[in-house]
Amino acid sequence: MTFEERLARLEQIAAELEGDVELARALALFEEGIENLRAAAAELGNADTRVQQLIERADGTFEVETRE
Amino acid sequence: MTTRRTPRRAEGQSERSDLDLFGGGLVSDVARSEPPPPPIEYAEPDGYPGETAQSAVAVSILTQTARDVIEGAFIPLWVRGEISDFKSHRNGHWYFCLRDSTAQIRCVVWKRDQRGIPAAPDDGMQVAAFGRLTVYAARGEMQYAVTKMEAEGDGLRRKALEITRARLEADGLLALERKRPLPRFPRVIAVVTSPDGAALHDIVAVLHRRVANVRVVVVPCAVQGESAPEEICRALDRVNRWAGADLVIVGRGGGSREDLWAFNHEQVARAVAACHVPIISAVGHEVDISICDLVADYRAPTPSAAAEAATPSRTELVGDLRKLSLRMSGAARGTVRWHTDRLRHLARDLSSCSAEQISTRQTKLETIAGRLHALSPLATLSRGYSVARAADGATLGSAAAFQDGMPFDLIVRDGTVPAQVRGTPREQAS
Repeated sequence: MTFEERLARLEQIAAELEGDVELARALALFEEGIENLRAAAAELGNADTRVQQLIERADGTFEVETRE
Repeated sequence: MTTRRTPRRAEGQSERSDLDLFGGGLVSDVARSEPPPPPIEYAEPDGYPGETAQSAVAVSILTQTARDVIEGAFIPLWVRGEISDFKSHRNGHWYFCLRDSTAQIRCVVWKRDQRGIPAAPDDGMQVAAFGRLTVYAARGEMQYAVTKMEAEGDGLRRKALEITRARLEADGLLALERKRPLPRFPRVIAVVTSPDGAALHDIVAVLHRRVANVRVVVVPCAVQGESAPEEICRALDRVNRWAGADLVIVGRGGGSREDLWAFNHEQVARAVAACHVPIISAVGHEVDISICDLVADYRAPTPSAAAEAATPSRTELVGDLRKLSLRMSGAARGTVRWHTDRLRHLARDLSSCSAEQISTRQTKLETIAGRLHALSPLATLSRGYSVARAADGATLGSAAAFQDGMPFDLIVRDGTVPAQVRGTPREQAS
Protein backbone atom coordinates (compact mmCIF):
# COMPACT_ATOMS: atom_id res chain seq x y z
CA MET A 1 0.00 0.00 0.00
CA THR A 2 1.34 3.46 -0.79
CA PHE A 3 1.52 6.16 1.83
CA GLU A 4 -1.34 7.92 0.12
CA GLU A 5 -3.53 4.81 0.21
CA ARG A 6 -2.72 4.23 3.87
CA LEU A 7 -3.69 7.79 4.72
CA ALA A 8 -6.98 7.38 2.85
CA ARG A 9 -7.67 4.07 4.63
CA LEU A 10 -6.97 5.67 8.01
CA GLU A 11 -9.49 8.40 7.20
CA GLN A 12 -12.10 5.75 6.44
CA ILE A 13 -11.33 3.85 9.63
CA ALA A 14 -11.55 6.95 11.80
CA ALA A 15 -14.82 7.98 10.18
CA GLU A 16 -16.34 4.54 10.65
CA LEU A 17 -15.19 4.33 14.26
CA GLU A 18 -16.80 7.69 14.92
CA GLY A 19 -20.14 6.35 13.75
CA ASP A 20 -22.37 3.70 15.25
CA VAL A 21 -20.32 0.53 15.14
CA GLU A 22 -20.45 -2.96 16.69
CA LEU A 23 -17.89 -3.66 19.36
CA ALA A 24 -16.18 -6.48 17.48
CA ARG A 25 -16.06 -4.39 14.31
CA ALA A 26 -14.68 -1.44 16.29
CA LEU A 27 -11.88 -3.57 17.62
CA ALA A 28 -11.03 -4.94 14.17
CA LEU A 29 -11.01 -1.47 12.68
CA PHE A 30 -8.93 -0.16 15.51
CA GLU A 31 -6.33 -2.85 15.08
CA GLU A 32 -6.18 -2.28 11.35
CA GLY A 33 -5.81 1.43 12.03
CA ILE A 34 -2.92 0.93 14.42
CA GLU A 35 -1.18 -1.29 11.88
CA ASN A 36 -1.55 1.35 9.17
CA LEU A 37 -0.32 4.08 11.47
CA ARG A 38 2.81 2.10 12.27
CA ALA A 39 3.54 1.32 8.64
CA ALA A 40 2.95 4.92 7.56
CA ALA A 41 5.19 6.28 10.31
CA ALA A 42 7.90 3.80 9.34
CA GLU A 43 7.69 4.89 5.72
CA LEU A 44 8.12 8.53 6.72
CA GLY A 45 11.32 7.67 8.52
CA ASN A 46 12.69 6.00 5.43
CA ALA A 47 13.73 8.78 3.06
CA ASP A 48 14.73 7.65 -0.39
CA THR A 49 14.91 10.19 -3.20
CA ARG A 50 16.12 8.45 -6.32
CA VAL A 51 17.52 10.58 -9.13
CA GLN A 52 17.33 9.16 -12.62
CA GLN A 53 17.61 10.46 -16.14
CA LEU A 54 15.25 9.99 -19.05
CA ILE A 55 16.91 8.77 -22.21
CA GLU A 56 15.15 8.44 -25.53
CA ARG A 57 16.44 5.66 -27.74
CA ALA A 58 16.75 6.05 -31.49
CA ASP A 59 13.57 4.04 -32.02
CA GLY A 60 11.56 6.48 -29.87
CA THR A 61 11.30 4.22 -26.84
CA PHE A 62 12.47 5.38 -23.44
CA GLU A 63 14.92 4.26 -20.85
CA VAL A 64 15.27 5.57 -17.31
CA GLU A 65 18.83 5.44 -16.18
CA THR A 66 19.95 5.89 -12.61
CA ARG A 67 22.40 8.75 -12.22
CA GLU A 68 25.69 8.55 -10.34
CA MET B 1 40.01 49.40 -59.04
CA THR B 2 42.99 50.69 -57.22
CA THR B 3 45.55 48.36 -58.71
CA ARG B 4 46.52 47.96 -62.26
CA ARG B 5 46.25 44.22 -62.12
CA THR B 6 42.73 43.63 -60.97
CA PRO B 7 42.16 40.39 -62.88
CA ARG B 8 43.43 38.10 -60.16
CA ARG B 9 40.59 38.14 -57.70
CA ALA B 10 40.43 36.64 -54.29
CA GLU B 11 38.87 33.24 -53.82
CA GLY B 12 35.16 33.15 -53.09
CA GLN B 13 34.18 36.30 -54.82
CA SER B 14 31.23 36.11 -57.07
CA GLU B 15 31.67 34.68 -60.44
CA ARG B 16 29.51 37.36 -61.86
CA SER B 17 32.16 40.03 -61.47
CA ASP B 18 34.72 37.86 -63.15
CA LEU B 19 32.36 37.27 -65.99
CA ASP B 20 31.59 40.92 -66.33
CA LEU B 21 35.21 41.93 -66.22
CA PHE B 22 36.32 39.62 -68.91
CA GLY B 23 33.14 39.23 -70.84
CA GLY B 24 32.80 35.49 -70.78
CA GLY B 25 33.97 33.19 -68.03
CA LEU B 26 37.68 33.02 -68.53
CA VAL B 27 37.93 31.68 -65.05
CA SER B 28 35.72 28.67 -65.33
CA ASP B 29 34.70 26.19 -62.65
CA VAL B 30 36.74 23.55 -64.40
CA ALA B 31 39.82 25.72 -64.27
CA ARG B 32 39.36 26.10 -60.47
CA SER B 33 38.99 22.46 -59.64
CA GLU B 34 41.75 20.11 -58.51
CA PRO B 35 44.44 19.31 -59.56
CA PRO B 36 45.81 22.86 -59.52
CA PRO B 37 45.15 24.36 -62.91
CA PRO B 38 47.96 25.74 -64.93
CA PRO B 39 48.17 29.48 -64.44
CA ILE B 40 45.96 31.29 -66.86
CA GLU B 41 47.75 33.98 -68.71
CA TYR B 42 45.61 37.07 -68.98
CA ALA B 43 46.17 39.54 -71.65
CA GLU B 44 47.76 42.56 -70.01
CA PRO B 45 45.39 45.44 -70.73
CA ASP B 46 46.65 48.86 -71.51
CA GLY B 47 46.24 50.83 -68.27
CA TYR B 48 43.50 49.81 -65.83
CA PRO B 49 39.82 49.16 -66.44
CA GLY B 50 37.92 52.44 -66.50
CA GLU B 51 40.98 54.51 -67.21
CA THR B 52 39.58 55.57 -70.51
CA ALA B 53 36.14 55.75 -72.05
CA GLN B 54 37.05 52.73 -74.14
CA SER B 55 37.82 50.59 -71.11
CA ALA B 56 34.81 51.83 -69.08
CA VAL B 57 33.57 49.30 -66.57
CA ALA B 58 29.93 48.30 -66.08
CA VAL B 59 27.89 49.89 -63.27
CA SER B 60 27.65 46.49 -61.60
CA ILE B 61 31.43 46.34 -61.49
CA LEU B 62 31.52 49.67 -59.77
CA THR B 63 28.97 48.69 -57.12
CA GLN B 64 30.49 45.26 -56.69
CA THR B 65 33.90 46.73 -56.14
CA ALA B 66 32.49 49.33 -53.73
CA ARG B 67 30.89 46.48 -51.87
CA ASP B 68 34.14 44.55 -51.65
CA VAL B 69 35.98 47.59 -50.39
CA ILE B 70 33.34 48.52 -47.80
CA GLU B 71 32.85 44.99 -46.54
CA GLY B 72 36.57 44.61 -46.24
CA ALA B 73 36.97 47.91 -44.43
CA PHE B 74 34.39 47.47 -41.66
CA ILE B 75 34.22 44.74 -39.10
CA PRO B 76 30.68 44.11 -37.75
CA LEU B 77 29.86 46.70 -35.10
CA TRP B 78 27.11 48.24 -32.97
CA VAL B 79 25.54 51.42 -34.28
CA ARG B 80 22.98 53.52 -32.44
CA GLY B 81 20.18 55.62 -33.83
CA GLU B 82 16.46 56.03 -34.20
CA ILE B 83 14.27 53.66 -36.19
CA SER B 84 12.20 55.11 -39.02
CA ASP B 85 10.25 53.80 -42.03
CA PHE B 86 10.12 50.29 -40.61
CA LYS B 87 8.57 47.77 -42.99
CA SER B 88 8.18 44.06 -42.66
CA HIS B 89 8.21 42.93 -46.26
CA ARG B 90 6.13 40.13 -47.74
CA ASN B 91 9.34 38.21 -48.33
CA GLY B 92 9.89 38.10 -44.55
CA HIS B 93 12.80 40.55 -44.39
CA TRP B 94 12.64 43.76 -42.36
CA TYR B 95 13.63 47.11 -43.86
CA PHE B 96 14.07 50.41 -42.05
CA CYS B 97 16.27 53.46 -41.64
CA LEU B 98 18.53 54.15 -38.74
CA ARG B 99 19.09 57.85 -38.30
CA ASP B 100 20.34 60.62 -36.09
CA SER B 101 19.92 64.37 -36.52
CA THR B 102 22.20 64.63 -39.54
CA ALA B 103 22.51 61.23 -41.17
CA GLN B 104 20.75 58.02 -41.99
CA ILE B 105 21.54 54.58 -43.24
CA ARG B 106 19.24 52.03 -44.88
CA CYS B 107 19.07 48.84 -42.87
CA VAL B 108 17.87 45.32 -43.45
CA VAL B 109 17.31 42.35 -41.16
CA TRP B 110 17.21 39.17 -43.18
CA LYS B 111 14.54 36.75 -42.17
CA ARG B 112 17.07 34.18 -40.95
CA ASP B 113 18.69 36.76 -38.66
CA GLN B 114 15.45 37.78 -36.95
CA ARG B 115 15.61 35.04 -34.35
CA GLY B 116 18.38 37.00 -32.64
CA ILE B 117 16.03 39.94 -32.12
CA PRO B 118 13.21 39.70 -29.57
CA ALA B 119 10.62 41.67 -31.55
CA ALA B 120 10.33 43.91 -34.57
CA PRO B 121 11.24 47.49 -33.62
CA ASP B 122 8.77 50.37 -33.94
CA ASP B 123 9.41 53.69 -35.63
CA GLY B 124 10.83 56.20 -33.17
CA MET B 125 12.58 53.60 -31.01
CA GLN B 126 16.13 54.40 -29.99
CA VAL B 127 18.14 51.30 -30.68
CA ALA B 128 21.63 49.91 -30.91
CA ALA B 129 21.97 47.62 -33.90
CA PHE B 130 24.75 45.17 -34.56
CA GLY B 131 25.56 44.39 -38.16
CA ARG B 132 27.85 44.91 -41.09
CA LEU B 133 27.98 47.59 -43.71
CA THR B 134 27.56 46.52 -47.29
CA VAL B 135 26.35 47.85 -50.61
CA TYR B 136 23.01 47.03 -52.13
CA ALA B 137 24.04 46.89 -55.75
CA ALA B 138 20.58 47.05 -57.28
CA ARG B 139 20.14 50.53 -55.88
CA GLY B 140 23.71 51.55 -55.51
CA GLU B 141 23.06 52.26 -51.85
CA MET B 142 24.97 51.52 -48.71
CA GLN B 143 23.03 49.13 -46.55
CA TYR B 144 23.51 48.03 -42.99
CA ALA B 145 22.70 44.32 -42.51
CA VAL B 146 21.60 43.96 -38.90
CA THR B 147 21.73 40.70 -36.91
CA LYS B 148 21.23 41.87 -33.32
CA MET B 149 19.32 44.76 -31.84
CA GLU B 150 18.66 46.22 -28.41
CA ALA B 151 16.27 49.04 -27.68
CA GLU B 152 16.58 51.70 -25.02
CA GLY B 153 14.78 50.68 -21.83
CA ASP B 154 14.66 47.07 -23.00
CA GLY B 155 11.83 48.12 -25.29
CA LEU B 156 12.15 45.21 -27.71
CA ARG B 157 11.96 42.58 -25.00
CA ARG B 158 9.00 44.31 -23.39
CA LYS B 159 7.29 44.46 -26.73
CA ALA B 160 8.03 40.79 -27.38
CA LEU B 161 6.58 39.84 -23.99
CA GLU B 162 3.42 41.82 -24.66
CA ILE B 163 2.94 40.24 -28.06
CA THR B 164 3.53 36.70 -26.79
CA ARG B 165 1.29 37.24 -23.81
CA ALA B 166 -1.51 38.61 -25.97
CA ARG B 167 -1.29 35.64 -28.32
CA LEU B 168 -1.37 33.10 -25.51
CA GLU B 169 -4.25 34.95 -23.91
CA ALA B 170 -6.18 34.96 -27.18
CA ASP B 171 -5.81 31.18 -27.25
CA GLY B 172 -7.08 30.93 -23.69
CA LEU B 173 -3.81 29.53 -22.36
CA LEU B 174 -3.60 32.00 -19.48
CA ALA B 175 -7.10 31.24 -18.17
CA LEU B 176 -7.17 30.38 -14.48
CA GLU B 177 -9.68 27.59 -15.14
CA ARG B 178 -6.94 25.77 -17.03
CA LYS B 179 -4.82 25.42 -13.91
CA ARG B 180 -4.84 21.86 -12.64
CA PRO B 181 -4.36 20.98 -8.97
CA LEU B 182 -1.02 19.39 -8.15
CA PRO B 183 -1.10 15.77 -6.95
CA ARG B 184 -0.55 15.64 -3.20
CA PHE B 185 1.70 12.58 -3.35
CA PRO B 186 3.55 12.53 -6.66
CA ARG B 187 5.55 9.34 -7.14
CA VAL B 188 7.55 10.33 -10.19
CA ILE B 189 8.55 13.95 -10.77
CA ALA B 190 10.05 14.80 -14.16
CA VAL B 191 12.46 17.72 -13.92
CA VAL B 192 13.05 19.49 -17.24
CA THR B 193 16.25 21.45 -16.76
CA SER B 194 19.99 21.41 -17.28
CA PRO B 195 21.47 18.20 -15.84
CA ASP B 196 24.40 20.17 -14.42
CA GLY B 197 22.54 23.22 -13.15
CA ALA B 198 21.99 24.52 -9.64
CA ALA B 199 18.23 24.10 -10.10
CA LEU B 200 18.40 20.31 -10.20
CA HIS B 201 20.69 20.20 -7.21
CA ASP B 202 18.33 22.43 -5.18
CA ILE B 203 15.25 20.43 -6.14
CA VAL B 204 16.80 17.10 -5.18
CA ALA B 205 18.07 18.49 -1.87
CA VAL B 206 14.62 19.78 -0.91
CA LEU B 207 12.84 16.59 -1.92
CA HIS B 208 15.27 14.51 0.03
CA ARG B 209 14.59 16.54 3.13
CA ARG B 210 10.84 16.62 2.77
CA VAL B 211 9.46 13.36 1.68
CA ALA B 212 10.06 9.68 1.25
CA ASN B 213 9.87 7.55 -1.84
CA VAL B 214 9.78 10.01 -4.68
CA ARG B 215 11.59 9.39 -7.95
CA VAL B 216 13.15 12.34 -9.73
CA VAL B 217 13.60 11.80 -13.45
CA VAL B 218 15.78 14.44 -15.07
CA VAL B 219 14.90 15.29 -18.65
CA PRO B 220 18.02 17.15 -19.74
CA CYS B 221 17.94 20.24 -21.95
CA ALA B 222 19.83 23.49 -22.42
CA VAL B 223 18.15 26.29 -20.46
CA GLN B 224 19.97 29.21 -22.03
CA GLY B 225 21.48 30.07 -25.35
CA GLU B 226 20.11 29.91 -28.84
CA SER B 227 19.15 26.24 -28.78
CA ALA B 228 17.39 26.42 -25.40
CA PRO B 229 13.79 27.09 -26.55
CA GLU B 230 13.85 24.20 -28.96
CA GLU B 231 15.52 21.87 -26.47
CA ILE B 232 13.04 22.71 -23.71
CA CYS B 233 10.13 22.07 -26.10
CA ARG B 234 11.64 18.75 -27.14
CA ALA B 235 12.21 17.70 -23.52
CA LEU B 236 8.59 18.53 -22.63
CA ASP B 237 7.39 16.58 -25.62
CA ARG B 238 9.52 13.66 -24.45
CA VAL B 239 7.88 13.77 -21.02
CA ASN B 240 4.47 13.53 -22.69
CA ARG B 241 5.45 10.63 -24.91
CA TRP B 242 7.15 8.79 -22.08
CA ALA B 243 4.01 9.22 -19.91
CA GLY B 244 5.81 8.02 -16.79
CA ALA B 245 5.63 11.13 -14.60
CA ASP B 246 2.73 12.38 -12.53
CA LEU B 247 4.19 15.87 -12.06
CA VAL B 248 6.65 18.03 -14.02
CA ILE B 249 8.94 20.81 -12.87
CA VAL B 250 10.41 22.97 -15.66
CA GLY B 251 12.90 25.71 -14.93
CA ARG B 252 16.37 26.88 -14.05
CA GLY B 253 18.19 28.90 -11.42
CA GLY B 254 18.67 32.63 -11.50
CA GLY B 255 20.59 34.45 -14.20
CA SER B 256 20.62 37.54 -16.32
CA ARG B 257 17.52 38.54 -18.20
CA GLU B 258 19.06 37.17 -21.34
CA ASP B 259 19.86 33.85 -19.63
CA LEU B 260 16.21 33.45 -18.63
CA TRP B 261 14.87 34.53 -21.99
CA ALA B 262 14.12 31.03 -23.32
CA PHE B 263 11.30 30.79 -20.79
CA ASN B 264 9.58 33.76 -22.42
CA HIS B 265 9.57 32.04 -25.75
CA GLU B 266 6.12 31.49 -27.19
CA GLN B 267 6.80 27.93 -28.32
CA VAL B 268 8.13 27.01 -24.88
CA ALA B 269 5.01 28.46 -23.27
CA ARG B 270 2.84 26.43 -25.63
CA ALA B 271 4.80 23.27 -24.82
CA VAL B 272 4.27 23.95 -21.11
CA ALA B 273 0.54 24.39 -21.74
CA ALA B 274 0.47 21.13 -23.69
CA CYS B 275 1.96 19.11 -20.82
CA HIS B 276 -0.23 16.08 -20.08
CA VAL B 277 0.28 16.19 -16.32
CA PRO B 278 0.33 19.12 -13.86
CA ILE B 279 3.41 21.27 -14.34
CA ILE B 280 5.27 23.70 -12.09
CA SER B 281 7.31 26.50 -13.61
CA ALA B 282 10.34 27.64 -11.62
CA VAL B 283 12.43 30.20 -13.45
CA GLY B 284 15.16 32.19 -11.78
CA HIS B 285 14.65 34.07 -8.53
CA GLU B 286 11.60 35.54 -6.83
CA VAL B 287 11.42 38.64 -9.00
CA ASP B 288 11.69 36.97 -12.38
CA ILE B 289 8.29 36.25 -13.88
CA SER B 290 8.36 34.49 -17.19
CA ILE B 291 5.71 33.70 -19.76
CA CYS B 292 6.09 30.04 -18.74
CA ASP B 293 5.08 30.99 -15.22
CA LEU B 294 1.80 32.37 -16.54
CA VAL B 295 0.97 29.22 -18.45
CA ALA B 296 2.05 26.57 -15.92
CA ASP B 297 -0.38 25.11 -13.40
CA TYR B 298 1.72 26.52 -10.59
CA ARG B 299 4.37 29.21 -10.51
CA ALA B 300 7.18 28.65 -8.04
CA PRO B 301 9.50 31.60 -7.31
CA THR B 302 12.60 29.35 -7.26
CA PRO B 303 13.46 25.71 -8.05
CA SER B 304 13.62 24.95 -4.31
CA ALA B 305 10.14 26.38 -3.86
CA ALA B 306 8.96 24.21 -6.74
CA ALA B 307 10.15 21.10 -4.91
CA GLU B 308 8.36 22.29 -1.80
CA ALA B 309 5.14 22.91 -3.69
CA ALA B 310 5.43 19.51 -5.35
CA THR B 311 5.48 17.46 -2.17
CA PRO B 312 4.02 17.43 1.34
CA SER B 313 6.46 18.03 4.16
CA ARG B 314 7.36 15.32 6.60
CA THR B 315 6.16 17.49 9.51
CA GLU B 316 2.82 17.97 7.85
CA LEU B 317 2.42 14.22 7.35
CA VAL B 318 3.43 13.43 10.92
CA GLY B 319 0.76 15.91 12.03
CA ASP B 320 -1.82 14.16 9.84
CA LEU B 321 -0.96 10.79 11.33
CA ARG B 322 -1.18 12.15 14.84
CA LYS B 323 -4.61 13.63 14.20
CA LEU B 324 -5.89 10.37 12.76
CA SER B 325 -4.49 8.46 15.71
CA LEU B 326 -6.33 10.72 18.16
CA ARG B 327 -9.58 10.47 16.23
CA MET B 328 -9.38 6.71 16.14
CA SER B 329 -8.57 6.26 19.82
CA GLY B 330 -11.22 8.78 20.86
CA ALA B 331 -13.86 7.03 18.82
CA ALA B 332 -12.83 3.56 19.96
CA ARG B 333 -12.91 4.63 23.60
CA GLY B 334 -16.35 6.11 23.10
CA THR B 335 -17.58 2.85 21.64
CA VAL B 336 -16.20 0.80 24.51
CA ARG B 337 -17.71 3.16 27.05
CA TRP B 338 -21.07 3.01 25.38
CA HIS B 339 -21.06 -0.76 25.45
CA THR B 340 -19.93 -0.85 29.08
CA ASP B 341 -22.74 1.44 30.10
CA ARG B 342 -25.23 -0.64 28.20
CA LEU B 343 -23.95 -3.75 29.92
CA ARG B 344 -24.35 -2.16 33.32
CA HIS B 345 -27.89 -1.20 32.54
CA LEU B 346 -28.64 -4.67 31.33
CA ALA B 347 -27.16 -6.17 34.48
CA ARG B 348 -29.30 -3.92 36.62
CA ASP B 349 -32.48 -4.34 34.63
CA LEU B 350 -32.46 -7.96 33.69
CA SER B 351 -32.35 -10.24 36.68
CA SER B 352 -32.48 -13.18 34.25
CA CYS B 353 -29.07 -12.33 32.96
CA SER B 354 -26.59 -14.71 34.50
CA ALA B 355 -23.61 -13.41 36.40
CA GLU B 356 -21.43 -15.61 34.27
CA GLN B 357 -22.57 -14.04 31.01
CA ILE B 358 -21.95 -10.60 32.40
CA SER B 359 -18.57 -11.58 33.66
CA THR B 360 -17.56 -12.94 30.22
CA ARG B 361 -18.51 -9.72 28.48
CA GLN B 362 -16.85 -7.70 31.20
CA THR B 363 -13.60 -9.60 30.62
CA LYS B 364 -13.83 -9.01 26.89
CA LEU B 365 -14.31 -5.32 27.45
CA GLU B 366 -11.34 -5.21 29.76
CA THR B 367 -9.20 -6.84 27.10
CA ILE B 368 -10.25 -4.20 24.62
CA ALA B 369 -9.71 -1.43 27.12
CA GLY B 370 -6.25 -2.86 27.78
CA ARG B 371 -5.38 -2.55 24.09
CA LEU B 372 -6.68 0.97 23.94
CA HIS B 373 -4.56 1.76 26.94
CA ALA B 374 -1.50 1.55 24.73
CA LEU B 375 -2.65 4.77 23.11
CA SER B 376 -1.16 7.97 24.34
CA PRO B 377 -4.29 9.79 25.61
CA LEU B 378 -5.05 6.95 28.02
CA ALA B 379 -1.46 6.58 29.01
CA THR B 380 -1.46 10.27 29.70
CA LEU B 381 -4.35 9.83 32.13
CA SER B 382 -2.44 7.17 34.05
CA ARG B 383 0.39 9.64 34.58
CA GLY B 384 -1.94 11.86 36.57
CA TYR B 385 -3.55 14.13 34.02
CA SER B 386 -7.29 14.28 33.66
CA VAL B 387 -9.63 15.03 30.82
CA ALA B 388 -12.67 17.25 31.20
CA ARG B 389 -15.66 16.21 29.18
CA ALA B 390 -18.96 18.04 28.60
CA ALA B 391 -22.33 16.34 29.07
CA ASP B 392 -22.45 15.59 25.34
CA GLY B 393 -19.09 13.84 25.50
CA ALA B 394 -17.03 16.61 23.86
CA THR B 395 -13.55 17.13 25.27
CA LEU B 396 -13.17 20.48 26.99
CA GLY B 397 -9.71 21.49 25.98
CA SER B 398 -9.50 25.20 26.75
CA ALA B 399 -10.64 27.70 29.36
CA ALA B 400 -12.97 29.23 26.82
CA ALA B 401 -15.00 26.01 26.70
CA PHE B 402 -16.11 26.42 30.34
CA GLN B 403 -18.79 28.70 31.72
CA ASP B 404 -19.56 29.55 35.32
CA GLY B 405 -21.79 26.91 36.85
CA MET B 406 -21.46 24.47 33.97
CA PRO B 407 -21.48 20.78 34.98
CA PHE B 408 -18.91 18.48 33.38
CA ASP B 409 -17.21 15.12 33.91
CA LEU B 410 -13.61 14.80 34.92
CA ILE B 411 -12.11 11.60 33.53
CA VAL B 412 -9.26 10.40 35.68
CA ARG B 413 -7.18 7.25 35.62
CA ASP B 414 -9.66 5.01 37.40
CA GLY B 415 -13.03 6.61 36.85
CA THR B 416 -15.22 9.62 36.22
CA VAL B 417 -15.79 12.47 38.68
CA PRO B 418 -18.89 14.64 38.24
CA ALA B 419 -17.80 18.28 38.54
CA GLN B 420 -19.07 21.82 38.12
CA VAL B 421 -17.37 25.09 37.23
CA ARG B 422 -17.18 27.59 40.07
CA GLY B 423 -16.37 31.13 39.04
CA THR B 424 -15.39 32.57 35.67
CA PRO B 425 -12.66 30.67 33.82
CA ARG B 426 -9.49 32.70 33.23
CA GLU B 427 -7.59 32.29 30.02
CA GLN B 428 -3.84 32.31 30.19
CA ALA B 429 -2.16 34.57 27.75
CA SER B 430 -0.21 32.26 25.45
